[in-house]
Amino acid sequence: MADKPVYEEASIDGQLPKLASIPASDTTVWADASPLLQAACAGLRDGELIHGDNFNLFAAMSALEIMDPKMDSGIVCTYYSIDEAIENGAAPIPISLDSTIDVRCTIDIMDHLLACEAAWHKGHSLAQTVFSCIYLLRLDRTAPHALLHSYCRIIRATCKAVVSVVSDARTHEEEDLFTMTYGLPLNGDGDDKCLSILNAVEETISRQLRACKATSSKRRLPEDLEPLQSNPNLEEGFCKALLCRLRFRKHFFHVLSCMKRPQGRGLESARKHIASCLTELESILKSAGFLRSCFDESCEGDIDDKTTASGFEPIGFDAMLNSRLSAPTPPRAIKILSWKKAVEYFVKLLHDLDVICSYSLDPHLESLLRFVVQFQKSQPDLVARSHLQLLLVQDGKLYGRDPFFAVINKAAALPESTKNHDIQKNESFLQLGMLVMNLLKILCTNAAWQRRKLGKFLQDWRVIYVQLELAFRNEYGEVSSSSNDENTCMKIFQHILLWVEEQTYWIAFRFLILGFELELYSTGEYCMVYWYLYAVLIKLAEKTHLMMAVSHDTAKRKGKKKKDSPKDLARESRIPPAVLFLQCYICLAEGLTMMLAALRNEIPVFHSPSPFNTEHEKFVQHFELLQRACIPDHVSYPSYKESTTHARFSTLAMYNYFKDAQRIAKEVKSSFSNDPERLAELRKLEQVAEHNSVAQNVICRLGALDPSLRVSFEFSHHPFFATVVVKRS
Amino acid sequence: MEAKPEEKVEFEEAEIEYVSYGGEHHLPLIMNLVDQELSEPYSIFTYRYFVYLWPQLSFLAFHKGKCVGTVVCKMGEHRNTFRGYIAMLVVIKPYRGRGIATELVTRSIRMMMESGCEEVTLEAEVTNKGALALYGRLGFIRAKRLFHYYLNGVDAFRLKLLFPPPRQVL
Repeated sequence: MADKPVYEEASIDGQLPKLASIPASDTTVWADASPLLQAACAGLRDGELIHGDNFNLFAAMSALEIMDPKMDSGIVCTYYSIDEAIENGAAPIPISLDSTIDVRCTIDIMDHLLACEAAWHKGHSLAQTVFSCIYLLRLDRTAPHALLHSYCRIIRATCKAVVSVVSDARTHEEEDLFTMTYGLPLNGDGDDKCLSILNAVEETISRQLRACKATSSKRRLPEDLEPLQSNPNLEEGFCKALLCRLRFRKHFFHVLSCMKRPQGRGLESARKHIASCLTELESILKSAGFLRSCFDESCEGDIDDKTTASGFEPIGFDAMLNSRLSAPTPPRAIKILSWKKAVEYFVKLLHDLDVICSYSLDPHLESLLRFVVQFQKSQPDLVARSHLQLLLVQDGKLYGRDPFFAVINKAAALPESTKNHDIQKNESFLQLGMLVMNLLKILCTNAAWQRRKLGKFLQDWRVIYVQLELAFRNEYGEVSSSSNDENTCMKIFQHILLWVEEQTYWIAFRFLILGFELELYSTGEYCMVYWYLYAVLIKLAEKTHLMMAVSHDTAKRKGKKKKDSPKDLARESRIPPAVLFLQCYICLAEGLTMMLAALRNEIPVFHSPSPFNTEHEKFVQHFELLQRACIPDHVSYPSYKESTTHARFSTLAMYNYFKDAQRIAKEVKSSFSNDPERLAELRKLEQVAEHNSVAQNVICRLGALDPSLRVSFEFSHHPFFATVVVKRS
Repeated sequence: MEAKPEEKVEFEEAEIEYVSYGGEHHLPLIMNLVDQELSEPYSIFTYRYFVYLWPQLSFLAFHKGKCVGTVVCKMGEHRNTFRGYIAMLVVIKPYRGRGIATELVTRSIRMMMESGCEEVTLEAEVTNKGALALYGRLGFIRAKRLFHYYLNGVDAFRLKLLFPPPRQVL
């Protein structure tokens, strides 16, 4: 827009611009385009345009056809402005002169706002959801209606708080619609007082409730107190329905503020408010019965589709009023959640927030990574994910408390003396800290975005490994007589390098399995995917095992020096349960690879060539990012072909990897008896292994003989290890 | 996307005539089909952008003079690769399931390959099982999932077909 004045000047008087804000250069010159435009106006027909060489698809797509209902967001409005809507009585204050109806309508507005808020959290624009409320758009107008005013104010303050959490977290890469607040009156004066205003209203209604209970038990009504509305039979129900709604808003606002407190200091209070929110939501749900029965008129349509508890259409909303505020895109079809679904959404959100609040503030990085992955399994929405991310990474520190170098220190089992060692000032170490911080942030994003980020991120981990290795060689490679300090440095580098490798393979593993969650692999590609997964898992298990050995060593050194007892030695020679756990994955991946390879090699249906490319191109595409980062080294399409071309039903019969997986899962379960999450995972692995072991036997016995045998793959027992289903057609 | 049997039209595959984009008279036919069948709204500028710049990549399918399917594409440089892009592919319901879409898109892909494209991409709704199966058979992989990609809030897959490198001529 910098050249707008120039354009106007040029078009008005037809003179060359004198005050060009973009100066002419060697290759460009300012010229008057008005004669051309005038000629074009006369010569152009409908749908034609004049454009420069740089006219591209984006420019073409940005054009909107006026009066086309699919594109022109302006034509579908009832009102052209908020003022026009208000003048036409679309949002009256009071809502009704009949105080009973007025209260019911206020509750409808509250319920519909809750539904709008949930729809916003679920990905629609704020402008077309919460801010479709005319009362909210002109909040000052509601001042005479204390109840409505207090509710609208806290809604606005809540929206503002949520927007700030999500924009600070920046997890919303593809969910940018969420934080778009352009043109909306989100910043009102005095919203900091929203809680005291709400408290005052809540206090009045509690007194009205007490008063009406007193009247019903024939006690005297305090004379200074007007009832909420005029129908005494409905007074108690209305008071209760309002109180739970107001209290929910209050506690929800507290939850957001508590979670924002630095260094996780507000998490305990947040949990108390979460519990209160859930109690109030239950009461809100219960109030539906009363709200539906208190009026004789009944509503048409399925009550479960309504956006209010009463089932009535709310007054004072117009979703199209703001449609011109949305980005330069065609209007999105907005489906506001039903009231019931909205309540369910908030229950889920609150549970997700509770999980975040109840996690340890002093975790080991490995368990923290597992926690975030586990948290993502429940598919939390943007708001919960943003909260988690903001809590984890504050001021460049974990939970705003521990510098990431200290976190790595602990995770990589570095010697105690490292904490104060100069090595942490090394450039590569600083970068490593950043990588860990970014890893945590990425793990908090939605699965689709997360996978893409992780794929590119692998390269960074590979680079940091090479840099650290180089630094290590430069500084200590050629020292023969080493002092104590050099010994420490050497140890630090060795541990760090091993740890970086372990993390790199863990990220590669996440990258591959997220492909299953996002349904990126088709059955024909499973063989190569499980083969690659197998290759990555082997490396991961190897690095994990080594890492455990060195950390055990460090831990032992830290303790009192005593002679190794035979018992200790025996324990060391055993494979640690965490590695056995990975071993179980490895067996399943290998078993599936070999079975899929045998099927492909023996049954023509499993080998359907495509007209334009081969399996090689698919391999290149699926694993491009891993291959580019050499993860793992020496793994390529030829090595994949080499290990799978000879698989036959006859070779399959010689070894059953699934039996191994089943045995390991069974054995290792006892080591995880106090880890319910991994215990559950092991049970699933055991089931898949058992099913597939049987399926493999059937295929080996009948596969080559019975042409009616149909083999399919389902994810009924485990999210990324397929269950093999054999049927006769 | 399977059409109901009673909606199906009886026809021989040989009765379908495939035509490369031939000029402005084809434009309303393409626009009508796409507008009817796809969720995204496109302005006339978008259609013209494609068919004016790459008329050789757009095809129409006719049955007894009636336009029953179309494909609209582009190609160009994208991050150092020469890439083809399938923008729109439509076959009207009564004619689905008989290979018309496969034939249309195959013609475009062949043109792209001959024009030196290294790969072909497109986006498809994750719920569009018919399209996903069709492109899967042609060798496309699902390279990415795009969160809430369409205006209707549905996720998309970015599908990609990588051509084998051209054989070195000695």
